[in-house]
Amino acid sequence: METLKNAVDFSDFPRIDLVIAGAVAFLFLIFPLFSASSFAMATMIQFFMFSLYGMGWNTIGGYGGQVDLGKAQYVGIGAYTTAVMLLRWDIPFWVSMPVGMGIAVIWSFIIGYPLFRLKGHYFAIATIATSLVLKDLFTVWSFVGAARGLEISPITYPPPDYMRLIFKEDIYYYYLILGFFFLGLLYMNWFRKSRLGFQLRCIKDNEDMARSLGINVHWAKIKTYAIATAFVSMVGSFHVCYIKVIEPVDIMSLDLSILIALMAMLGGAGSLWGPIIGAGVLIPLRSYLKEWLGAAAGLVGIDLIFYALIIMIVSAFEPRGIWGIVEKVRRRKRR
Amino acid sequence: MNRLLRLASVGIALAAVLGLMLPVKAFSAEEIKIGVIYPLTGGAAAAGRELRAGAELAAEIANGVMADLPMTMAKNGGIKAMGGAKINLIFKDHEGNPTVGADLAKKLILDDKVHGILGCYHSSVTKTVSAVCEQYGVPMINGSSTSPDLTMRGFKWFWRTTPHDKWFTKDLFELLKGLTEGKVKGVKAVPKKDIEVLAAACENTEWGSLVTEMIKLFAGEYEFKLRKTLLYADKATDLSSEVRSLKAAKPDVMLFASYTSDAILMLKTLKAEKAGPKIIWGQDAGFETPEFRNTLGDDIVGILTRTVFLPQVVEVKKVAGQVNRMYKAKTGNDLSGASARSFTGLQTWVHVIEKAGSTVPAEIQKAANAIEIPGDELVVPWAGVKFSTTGDELGQNVLGSGLIGQYQKAKDGKVALEIVYPFDVVTADMVYPFPGW
Amino acid sequence: MDLLLGSIAAGIVLGMVIALVALGLTIIFGVMEIVNFAHGEFLMVGMYTGLLTAQATGTDPIFTLPVAAIVGFLLGVICYAGFIKFLIRGPMVAQLLGTFGLMLFLRNLALLIFGSSDRTVHHGILVGKSFDIGMGIILPATKAAAAGLSVIAFLAVWLLMNRTKIGKALTATALNAQAARYMGIPTEKMNALAWGIGGGSVTVAGALIVNFWAVNPFMGLLFTMIAFTVVALGGFGSVPGAFFAGLVVGLIMEIPGFWDFFTYTFDWPWMADVPMTSLKYMWIYVAYFVITVIRPRGLFGWKH
Repeated sequence: METLKNAVDFSDFPRIDLVIAGAVAFLFLIFPLFSASSFAMATMIQFFMFSLYGMGWNTIGGYGGQVDLGKAQYVGIGAYTTAVMLLRWDIPFWVSMPVGMGIAVIWSFIIGYPLFRLKGHYFAIATIATSLVLKDLFTVWSFVGAARGLEISPITYPPPDYMRLIFKEDIYYYYLILGFFFLGLLYMNWFRKSRLGFQLRCIKDNEDMARSLGINVHWAKIKTYAIATAFVSMVGSFHVCYIKVIEPVDIMSLDLSILIALMAMLGGAGSLWGPIIGAGVLIPLRSYLKEWLGAAAGLVGIDLIFYALIIMIVSAFEPRGIWGIVEKVRRRKRR
Repeated sequence: MNRLLRLASVGIALAAVLGLMLPVKAFSAEEIKIGVIYPLTGGAAAAGRELRAGAELAAEIANGVMADLPMTMAKNGGIKAMGGAKINLIFKDHEGNPTVGADLAKKLILDDKVHGILGCYHSSVTKTVSAVCEQYGVPMINGSSTSPDLTMRGFKWFWRTTPHDKWFTKDLFELLKGLTEGKVKGVKAVPKKDIEVLAAACENTEWGSLVTEMIKLFAGEYEFKLRKTLLYADKATDLSSEVRSLKAAKPDVMLFASYTSDAILMLKTLKAEKAGPKIIWGQDAGFETPEFRNTLGDDIVGILTRTVFLPQVVEVKKVAGQVNRMYKAKTGNDLSGASARSFTGLQTWVHVIEKAGSTVPAEIQKAANAIEIPGDELVVPWAGVKFSTTGDELGQNVLGSGLIGQYQKAKDGKVALEIVYPFDVVTADMVYPFPGW
Repeated sequence: MDLLLGSIAAGIVLGMVIALVALGLTIIFGVMEIVNFAHGEFLMVGMYTGLLTAQATGTDPIFTLPVAAIVGFLLGVICYAGFIKFLIRGPMVAQLLGTFGLMLFLRNLALLIFGSSDRTVHHGILVGKSFDIGMGIILPATKAAAAGLSVIAFLAVWLLMNRTKIGKALTATALNAQAARYMGIPTEKMNALAWGIGGGSVTVAGALIVNFWAVNPFMGLLFTMIAFTVVALGGFGSVPGAFFAGLVVGLIMEIPGFWDFFTYTFDWPWMADVPMTSLKYMWIYVAYFVITVIRPRGLFGWKH
């Protein structure tokens, strides 16, 4: 009960934030009524997926300050578990998603134990390495389709199939991921006020001090890593039902890992709204830049050049992201 | 509350979808929009240019009137059954990426409201795009993806004009068998033990994986020893481990399935590592692009590739010669397997719509299942186009056939493909064994 | 036996080439503690420079090395003065993110300019030639040249670092930047110089590598990872360490070859079915992980 109260209690934010958040949430709910094109719809679904990825990353990367660049491996585990269970044994999404989360968490414990002995750059590169190892293994593992990947055939299951999440129209996926999005937000709101959340912030500020306060630093990091993993794996399961085809090079690519971290860092790592703001800026920007400049004008890659410039400017001059700027402005006003 | 909202929105969505369906039916088409999804950038961009030019040429011929071309579609000036409606091609670039392809297909269907889709070259992309088409009930014709699986999925909105790798691989083993029996022109019967050991390296997406399966299947059936099969990433920058691993198996015959840039890299690495088997055979795609020939020059003399179209076809087929001249005027290159099949794919689209006389998907479906294009209309040396409608394979053209060509040096010093299989249409003696580097 | 010798030889030659790729990374890291994720992209720039200079001037690709070195030096200095200088004031997270941004920028700039297709050098004195030494050892001339130059480059850098005043200033900056500043060493300039030398050495490596490998805009990351592994194994900042670690990593990349040796020597047919070549890069990642966890200082590390 206390947990629930903590999760829905946003009262420590300024009123203006809550009004804006409420208005945006309302817009999300009614968005499909005004959606002009399948493209806008697809962009919104991507936005929600990346917000959730970002929220997951934010636990370990933002609150914990451990730069994790290997999240794609857990997207892959979630997606593959759902796809394999559906294709081989006809097990619906609602069962395979938690199973996938379980497998991902177990894997995260296995590699997390040695991983968190590393710090700084060593840690960041090691997360990339583990992700790439898993990708390479999936590329040759014929049980999961090897490099060809897996495909959920559109004719085996007549849509709408609520158990297996096979729909024809995007609107079903939209409301489903929106539901996940709100749940994720509530969880994150609870998490930042939880015991682990405070421990993490302490570790981020000064690890030695945290240790002297009696916090089991290693274990706290591993636990948080597992939470982040579960988040990402859940969305991965959804991802495969939505796009219906997975290949290791795509779903476990480093680009995806980086994108996840970028969203959260650009928006403002370590804040509740950060990943959402980051995804809200970057995903539409990417989609529409790609559409207008990339595909239409034949300038392949120009979207990501803008992207990269934004990242470079933000990291050099405002490392705390967009949310950092907001807070700075606020502090100045208060003075 | 949420549930109510969801129900309401589902209702609204359904209404919207129905609303979209109605105008399509009432619409008297003045142009027929075909979405064409090809790899215009990426590792197969060279092939993409050919594919695009092939489809564009076919559309030009269908929309104009060319009295001297013995093709039905050249005489009508658009779709006759629909009052001369013109074909409008909307090109999209899938970059060789299946997910991008599926997104593009969705966009073409929902936002551009195309009447049909043509594509996509890479079998992996064709797989995802055809799945989207199947879901939305939009017809798709494929002209150049050869993974056998594609037509074995029971799809009702997918048709393929090209023969697939099961036939092509069988052709190869027939050729090898022919070698041992002395049937190959210009080569005395080779003892089987000289060409018995095989090794294969294929790119690792849908197409290459399936080719490997086919090679395994037929190697067993024809009793050859397949000592090594390996898959490699088609974006690889370095293939020397792969080549050394092939070499370690000491094969007599090396088999490849590669897209453009990896085919070139593979050949260069074979040369650098001095790997010289008796026969090198490529499964079309990269092995027959002009880039492959231009970059590697004389090094490729003696290499075999399966294909469906060679410039030599022009000598026996008048219509192919005429189209080839137009194509050469447009691009500077001869027609190749890629462009000829892309041309044929769009030509089939024109015939299907002509027969359907409408752009209603169900009518198109009916027309495609009943279509029969005679062989003398086509540029490719097939008996015609007729799709299977029963059995394991749905929508596969049953009248197609393949060729095996060999790069040889002509008298003028140019390297060009000559036909060495089927045995009744050969145009030159086969070079055996592979002359080496 | 031929297979084994051939693989060892190939691994050692490859190792020297890889060491050259990693040299720049270890110089930069030695002087200032920042990890450059765009390292592989610098290599790519070098490869394109070599390729395009050779094509534009019609000279042999082997003669484009000075051009590549100049381009690389400038690239390194510009990156430092225009970007990294601001970046190092921020926290480690921002440094990681920032060099990642640089990597994305260079990669997509290349994509925009050159398109995504692979390109290779087709003509040249060394291209396509190889020496058959016997006993299964086949040495492509291009790789042999790259390996030879790698040794020279390492000697030059080692001499620079240990026998010259600039080298001493660089080392002093690396050991304690503040103290070095008090001693009158212009540390800012030293940092820029480190980036210049690092950039130059990696673009030279690129201009050599393009003789035998294909270049496309996406190839950088793989080489970044390889270079990280080499540097982690050799110890971040250690020049001789990088050389020997390069040899080890080269041999690790030859694992498929050793696998084939066992397969055919002992005739275990099941081994032939293991897709070893598809996993050739995986061993590098595994090696990185194991090395950093077990021995974070690397083999020759002097700085943690």
